[in-house]
Amino acid sequence: MFITFALITLLGALAMLLQKNVIVAGLCMVATFFGVAGLFVLLGNPVAAALQVIVYTGAIMVLVLFVIMMLNSHEEEKAEASRPVQRWVSLALVAALALGSVKLVLASSGVKALNLNGAALPRATTLQNVGAALFADHLLGFEVVGLLLLAAMIGAVALTKRNL
Amino acid sequence: MDKFASLLHLTPAILWMVIKVVIVFAGVMSLAAIFTWVERRGSAMIQDRIGPNRAALFGKIRIIGLAQILADGIKMFFKEDLIPTDANRKLFWLAPFLAFVPALMGFAIIPFGKSFVSGGVSYHLSVLDPGNGMGMLYPLAIGGMAVYGVLVAAWSSNNKWSILGGMRASAAMVSYEIGMSLAVVSIFMTTGGYDPSEIIGTQGHLPWNWNIVHQPLGFIVFFTCLFAETNRLPFDFAEGESEIVAGFNTEFGSMKYSLMALAEYSHMMTASALIATLYFGGWQVPFVKDPTVMLSVACFLVKLVFFAWVFVWIRWTVPRFRYDQLMHLGWKVMLPMSMGNLVFHAWRMSQGH
Amino acid sequence: MGVIVKKVELSWLDRTYVWPVMKGMAITFEHFIKQLFTATSKRYTIQYPEMKKEMPEGYRGLHELKRFEDGAIKCVACFMCQEACPARCISIEAEEFSDLNITQGFEEKRPAIFKIDMLRCIYCGMCEEACPKDAIWLRKDYEVAAYDRLSMQFGKWDLMNTYAKADGKDRISQDPTPTVPRRTIVM
Repeated sequence: MFITFALITLLGALAMLLQKNVIVAGLCMVATFFGVAGLFVLLGNPVAAALQVIVYTGAIMVLVLFVIMMLNSHEEEKAEASRPVQRWVSLALVAALALGSVKLVLASSGVKALNLNGAALPRATTLQNVGAALFADHLLGFEVVGLLLLAAMIGAVALTKRNL
Repeated sequence: MDKFASLLHLTPAILWMVIKVVIVFAGVMSLAAIFTWVERRGSAMIQDRIGPNRAALFGKIRIIGLAQILADGIKMFFKEDLIPTDANRKLFWLAPFLAFVPALMGFAIIPFGKSFVSGGVSYHLSVLDPGNGMGMLYPLAIGGMAVYGVLVAAWSSNNKWSILGGMRASAAMVSYEIGMSLAVVSIFMTTGGYDPSEIIGTQGHLPWNWNIVHQPLGFIVFFTCLFAETNRLPFDFAEGESEIVAGFNTEFGSMKYSLMALAEYSHMMTASALIATLYFGGWQVPFVKDPTVMLSVACFLVKLVFFAWVFVWIRWTVPRFRYDQLMHLGWKVMLPMSMGNLVFHAWRMSQGH
Repeated sequence: MGVIVKKVELSWLDRTYVWPVMKGMAITFEHFIKQLFTATSKRYTIQYPEMKKEMPEGYRGLHELKRFEDGAIKCVACFMCQEACPARCISIEAEEFSDLNITQGFEEKRPAIFKIDMLRCIYCGMCEEACPKDAIWLRKDYEVAAYDRLSMQFGKWDLMNTYAKADGKDRISQDPTPTVPRRTIVM
């Protein structure tokens, strides 16, 4: 199961990068999101999986595709002049980043705790747990994020609609 | 059950799962097929017409035109499968499935009957057993996926009308999803859980304890949003025959078209099952405290068919909306209403009701 | 010139939109129930091959060449209808005949061939009006159709038999030889 979902995720991401057609790339990204949702379910967090599908595939990707269609570029864009140096530098940077993050995750206390407890599956997270965590443990962060989003929304409206 | 399972070299759990999947999908699909006929016949009756009543088995047995479904199926099957030259072939093939699969998948979570215990093992009548942690978020997530069927169909056929229809339909679907989700959230709150079996359990068997009585406003919002979500009239912006030919499925023919049409009706079935589960007590039989399993399934089926019929009924009652009216209704009426509903119920709960 | 359109003031109940929709649903449901429980024969729709519409008086349908009781054709081949026909679909060939029983030795005319091209006919009824003998009628049959063009050329016997079934008469395919004189000529 893990292999399947991981493959879906990775192949989706790869196809998205290699695909020249913007819409097809977007759909590949949807597949990636699905794979990630499946991984969430395997991790015992179905709520995150459902939210992933609702928010990312159901809303954000639809809007992104929507905008792409509205701008409507049927011609596939030509790649700009190849810049070999930049490409290799960026590849090296990405590789370093990936290695670092994997190392960090492996060194984190959570993974160590897992090692100690053996392969016991964590209990499935429910919506109630998520709510309790948001409104009890991380209330300040939640409020701040809410405020930030509101500010962003007002800013977007103000930017697009000059004469209110 | 055990014997039968061992005969097929399966564990009883897997066999039960297979049986459930077959029951649910075959049931929903055949109901959807029947509803293509019910829609045509019912709309005819509402307009004082007669509707398709002549299709007959072997040219003789004319069961009030029910053979029309078969005839349509056969016709669709033998039609030429055309793909426009400039269409994106792969996506054009994929689109009907993208439309069809989410429409059927949404049904998986819904309990269509009372759970029962047999031989020390409890059997649940829903494809996904209760307590899976996904609960009612699952149909919402899958409902969000339904947009892709429309969007991909519209884009891949490379046709102005298709794109117009697909774009406005997807915009409508996305914007109505928010109001719908908020209406569902207020049910989560009053229930104290988000599992469909929990929601059904707290509603009980008395009709005045059902959510429709407690949250009429939420029901109106949810119901209206479902119309936008399933792309049914009065919000059929995906198609809109009068203005953009047939909208997103203009270029689709033969089995691809029939899959699209079937997807619409399966979506309708899933939607009415959701209404029944969330607001009308699911499989609960009114005034019967402990119904038998078959009775509960029958009651659920009656509710399901009734709400699917309401979809048809509304179609011939309410005139179509204009696009700006739709957006106005969605953002300026439905969203504040469901928000108000949510706040009101939060306030009531804080008062200790 | 402007027209002042009076705006309908909606009551608050109508503004909710929910109540009017429910009223509308009641109306549509009433229609549904009414139609559901109406017998097939009383519905507006006429189920064509089984049920046929009764055509009104004066309807101009398929032609009939009238005949006397003994089966002799009334037409005297005077060509009036052929002249009157705006579509020119009638073609007649006359023949003389005499027999002692009917004409008592006089020569008389009758059509040897009387053809109407039903593909050309516009059912205007001019032939009926022109006929001095009331020998051609346009009656209520409207099911004039065939699988090929040739069978839309109606000949003399076809035209004489068009309503034979509806009137309960025998189909005839040859001029009769009457046994009694049809009329006495008053000189």
